[in-house]
Amino acid sequence: MNDELRAVAAEILARDDIDGIVGLKEMHGTVRPCFFTDADQLPLMVVDSRYPVASVVRLLLEEGPDLRLAVVCRGCEERSLIELAKNHQIDIDSITVIGIACDSDTAKECNCSKPYPDSLMVGTALENWTRDTYDTYRQMSGEEKLAFWNEQLEKCNKCYGCRNACPVCFCKECELENPLWVKRGRLPPDFPIYHLIRAFHVAGKCIGCGECEKACPTGIPLMTLSHLLREDLEELFGYMAGRSLDEQNPVITKEEYE
Amino acid sequence: MKYEAVLTTCPYCGCGCKYYVEVVNGQAKRVMPCKEDPVSEGKLCIKGWNAIDFVNSPDRLTSPLIRDGETFREATWEEAYSLITSKFKEIKDTSGPSAFGLLSSAKTTNEENYLMQKFARSVIVTNNVDHCARLCHASTVAGLAAAFGSGAMTNSIPEVEDADCILITGSNTTEQHPLIGTRIYRAKERGARIILVDPRSIQLASIADIHLRQRPGTDVAWLNGIMNVIINEGLADEMFIEQRTENYDEFLEEVMHYTPEHVEEITGIPRNDLIDAARMFANAESASIIYSMGITQHTTGVDNVKSCANLAMLTGNMGKASTGVNPLRGQNNVQGACDLGALPNVFPGYQAVTDPASREKFEKGWNMDESIPETPGLTVVELLNEAADGRIKCMYIMGENPMISDPDISHVREALDTLDFLVVQDIFLTETAEIADVVLPGASFLEKDGTFTGTDRRVQRVRKAIEPIGSSKPDWVIISELARSMGSDQFDYESPAAIQDEIASLTPLYGGISYQRLDERGYLQWPCPTPDHDGTTYLHKGEFKRGKGHFFAVPYRPPAELPDDKYPFTLTTGRILFHFHTGTMSRRSGPLNKEVPTGYVEIHPADAAKLGISDGQAVRVSTRRGTIDIPAYVTDRVPEETVFIPFHFKECAANLLTNPALDPIAKIPELKVCACSIEAIV
Repeated sequence: MNDELRAVAAEILARDDIDGIVGLKEMHGTVRPCFFTDADQLPLMVVDSRYPVASVVRLLLEEGPDLRLAVVCRGCEERSLIELAKNHQIDIDSITVIGIACDSDTAKECNCSKPYPDSLMVGTALENWTRDTYDTYRQMSGEEKLAFWNEQLEKCNKCYGCRNACPVCFCKECELENPLWVKRGRLPPDFPIYHLIRAFHVAGKCIGCGECEKACPTGIPLMTLSHLLREDLEELFGYMAGRSLDEQNPVITKEEYE
Repeated sequence: MKYEAVLTTCPYCGCGCKYYVEVVNGQAKRVMPCKEDPVSEGKLCIKGWNAIDFVNSPDRLTSPLIRDGETFREATWEEAYSLITSKFKEIKDTSGPSAFGLLSSAKTTNEENYLMQKFARSVIVTNNVDHCARLCHASTVAGLAAAFGSGAMTNSIPEVEDADCILITGSNTTEQHPLIGTRIYRAKERGARIILVDPRSIQLASIADIHLRQRPGTDVAWLNGIMNVIINEGLADEMFIEQRTENYDEFLEEVMHYTPEHVEEITGIPRNDLIDAARMFANAESASIIYSMGITQHTTGVDNVKSCANLAMLTGNMGKASTGVNPLRGQNNVQGACDLGALPNVFPGYQAVTDPASREKFEKGWNMDESIPETPGLTVVELLNEAADGRIKCMYIMGENPMISDPDISHVREALDTLDFLVVQDIFLTETAEIADVVLPGASFLEKDGTFTGTDRRVQRVRKAIEPIGSSKPDWVIISELARSMGSDQFDYESPAAIQDEIASLTPLYGGISYQRLDERGYLQWPCPTPDHDGTTYLHKGEFKRGKGHFFAVPYRPPAELPDDKYPFTLTTGRILFHFHTGTMSRRSGPLNKEVPTGYVEIHPADAAKLGISDGQAVRVSTRRGTIDIPAYVTDRVPEETVFIPFHFKECAANLLTNPALDPIAKIPELKVCACSIEAIV
């Protein structure tokens, strides 16, 4: 699949309307994000699921707003670009998506809702993919759920990693750092407000990539929270974040834009 | 547009998390965790996430400074080197090399520590070189070396999660080593039993199967008590004791005095809880001991460490995966600074200065005409005492801040003021640099190449991501240029890689380590004696480094200073998640400083009520050494009659209060126990 990707990337990099490709490269035995601007770099380009490139795109566009980028995107990354565009963080018209499909192991690891992008160019979309539906959790009583979260959130290390790793967290002032809601400097942070603020603040934007849970040093099952919220939004409003540029976030109030 | 994700190692604690620093057009922009890093696995603590914040602080030193009356003036490097060279030569000529004291740094790289001790031993020609490991794990280095033959963490971080029982004592792991905390949570999830022994109700108390809250400073007693129960219930690993250890009988005789009843009187730990903990530990298939400064920073620090070693040997939990005695080192490179000989008694690789063959090897390796002194030099606290007495006349301090980190700061100030000449090399104008004669601006971890050695003996690369700020220079460049200015021709290095090659040639522990291998493999854990050696995940497999593991008979001795009518509280000090050591870096990081902007004293609600103190109110804490004013944090995290103060904050510095009484062997001060009084400020 690497060869297939490199061939596609070479064609796109040769185009006059592309300044460079955001993707992943392998070096010193580890995979890392890279901004490919020269065909000589392409032999290092790899297909890998480990690093979300959407936040690299945002960083590059902050420094160079006029850059015309191509981006190697998995399903979740395409969804995060759509959400960033809907929230006026990037101009999606200046971005060319090089879509790649995830294999079943990767899809399972993230419990992905759609392990391939719409603009698929490399690989084959996974068929007959069924997700975990959190039945054990759903069957708990309200009291059991409260106890479950109490036990889980007591482990919180307040690293803010769930927020830092999130491809759709972009506020300049973060409410998690507002002492009105969460006492500063206390470990674990106040239960359950710290995690509720995060969950509800990204609800409607969360594209279900699971980067929050993967970044959590104490193994809090944050994907359970985010996936269930995504499903609720679909059930209640027929809405799914990252699906289309035209869908409006139903939980956002007008005030947030003002 | 240039974008690069540079893989490097965190400059905060000893976990040794590697992560990417995203650099855009020469500016460090963001930290991105590395999911393939075996320590962090793509997770970080709040300090790691914000580790590049202090690098661009406007407070960075950007030029050499020379004292000009009450202030400093900026100077060129040439001017600074020439002044230092003439002063160093003058003092060496008039007072001799033993009038010098050099402090190396657990924050700088292995190569820089190697050069600092090489500078001390071959240019000044003194063994008076030490660093702040003296204040944190000197007792570990001494105690474990005596018991096992090697003074380092026996096992590795990833193994912790597979232990069946973990005994954590004197380590607030989720705050001081969060990514090791990760492994403890995972072990618990797997069904491991967790025994916590700590006076304070720290975060790990919520998952502990047993939490024993001992009176501060009574560790030998409860450790002996646990071993007393294990032996009396026939739970000791007799085969291991027989085959792999020595001096058991003498140890046995001492331990027999520590019945659970007697231990309860000394420690306050209920006898039945102690018995439960002993059974839980001894019955586990693999049991691991994790400790940190709650064990080491006592006048009985070495005794405490030896007792931990005794417990691991008694139960056969040595030389196997997921067992062992695991001291967690505090600084990113405190392990490396010790390994590379920034200690007064050993050369790199713990080769003793008292050994004629070792001295000859280094004198030859460094092409010296003079002889290296055959006696060990002075330790940190001794150096400062001798400075106060006028016997040490000149100090060269790199990346250390004794004006906050050392006990009894008023005395430190007096000592440093008495010096004829003080050179401080740092990235900021620290409280110590403020009183220097010459200040040299070092470059930060982002601005240089090198290696750090994490707490589990893991040697990893630090990679240059950006250019040095202002005219600052990497410490390895500064030491080399200063050595050349002093007339040495043994400091011509093209790069840190060349320094590592010299280290490998003189240090069997690091003999097989090279930059090329580190680039290929990501890390190597010492001992790694040859270029084809894979490194060592856990120590003492099959045989102890010293041959047989040595049991020590360790009688309980009380702390040097106990509460009395005038000072009725026990003061214990330590660290918190959001800050690091003397705050030089973390307090210049916006997100960290916002979490905790200043210090506080934790006091139990019952004590607070008696003294009429409410949460957040300013109180006055006094000891025989000094007095500070500090806000109260009323909390049952601390037991009654014990108070806790984090030591990071200069405006309410815990170390104005602490007791400089030393462990007789390791010379570590008793930072964890002293007597204090508290009053509300009205």
